[in-house]
Amino acid sequence: MCLGIPMQIVEIKDFNARCEAKGVERDVSLFMLQHEPVNVGDFVMVHVGYAIQKMSEADALSTWELFDEMLRAAESVDG
Amino acid sequence: MSLTAQHWLKQLHALDLKKPIKIMNVCGGHERAITMAGLRGVLPTMIELIPGPGCPVCICPEEAIYAAIQLAIQEKLRVVAFGDMLRVPVNVGKQEIRSLEQAKAHGGKIYPIASPMEAVQIALQHPDETVIFFVAGFETTTAPVATLLAQGVPDNLLILLAARLTYPAVKMLLDTGEAKFNALIAPGHVATVMGSEEWQFVVTEHQMPVAVAGFTTESLLAAIYSVIRQQLENNIFLDNCYPQLVSTHGNPTAKKYLAETMQVVDATWRGIGKIANSGFVLKNSKLDVKSHFFDYSQEARKYAGTMPPGCECAQVVLGKIYPNQCPLYGAACTPRTPIGPCMVSDEGACRIWWSGGVRTGRFNFLR
Ligand code: SF4
Repeated sequence: MCLGIPMQIVEIKDFNARCEAKGVERDVSLFMLQHEPVNVGDFVMVHVGYAIQKMSEADALSTWELFDEMLRAAESVDG
Repeated sequence: MSLTAQHWLKQLHALDLKKPIKIMNVCGGHERAITMAGLRGVLPTMIELIPGPGCPVCICPEEAIYAAIQLAIQEKLRVVAFGDMLRVPVNVGKQEIRSLEQAKAHGGKIYPIASPMEAVQIALQHPDETVIFFVAGFETTTAPVATLLAQGVPDNLLILLAARLTYPAVKMLLDTGEAKFNALIAPGHVATVMGSEEWQFVVTEHQMPVAVAGFTTESLLAAIYSVIRQQLENNIFLDNCYPQLVSTHGNPTAKKYLAETMQVVDATWRGIGKIANSGFVLKNSKLDVKSHFFDYSQEARKYAGTMPPGCECAQVVLGKIYPNQCPLYGAACTPRTPIGPCMVSDEGACRIWWSGGVRTGRFNFLR
């Protein structure tokens, strides 16, 4: 529930965005980012369907790498 | 492990540590990243990493979960809740319904959701029914809910609010002298929303090192290095090791909506009791389920509000014992047969340690 996932904005309609992370698309609310300009192509940190902050592409990539590592680690232990 | 992570490890091993330092984190995401990266195994033995109050599901009042179950079963209302909440057990007799999951199996209209927006969608799909959105979570969840309320929700959507703030539990531990740690890693995404300034009190009031960390191994190691250096050099300050997302004042829009829709009040934490200024109530009482239906959370019950019998979750959450110091860890309590919320929730330290491969119990770490 508390896991933040970086996503890239592919489409914006009002305060709703279609965002993508590693091939998975989701609807994300941009309502919490009204204090700053947000554009298609930007990366955002998403929590429970809401973008809480913009971020750089490099930071998004390093977080995705971390998730991959964690998934691998989780798969290698049973239970 | 990346080059920068190895660089930080080298730096950490080069430090001249004369006595042990206990560093607490207050975020399930941090604990997961630390455990999955195996950081405890590669750090100098003088450095202890303690999981602390980082799991909102674990401390969600038992009475609130009980109320959600009763609203679904007795009032026959549609109840939506974050998926993590469904398996958390309440303290009732064996014949009674013990969790939202069991309530669902008994015909309760209970739906797990992953985003507050789904609660609105479900309310719109069922315009002639009352839909209850059971909200547990820390600031990273509460702010989106506040934003949703500020945007406006359908009339048939009511809120059962059990949201909590993160820092007051740390403040309580420090103020009462119960703290079992000498330094703190502050939660990166809570600070993204609320601002790093929320953690300044650790320095000003308690002269304790603190650093905000992100979720990569590098950011965590940087924060660990920072707090140790602060202590060794006796130069205590609030460090920000997650500047990519965290600013001093946080997200102004999120904070505006939180202030508009919710008020901060003293609130109870399961198994722990009341903590000052640690919870929220809705400013618009019309949205509050308690204004429309019987408040089942107030019902007198044996063991209301406590952890399940034998479960040491409250001690685990407060960083007073490690998960595997609970006598039930890995014995009666595993993710398949969880006894307490810390083994149910993905953010619970017991669950995280189990999925991290900790199978042995009771090594005495917290000296
Ligand atoms: S191991 Fe199970 S019973 Fe023990 S503290 Fe953790 S959740 Fe509670």
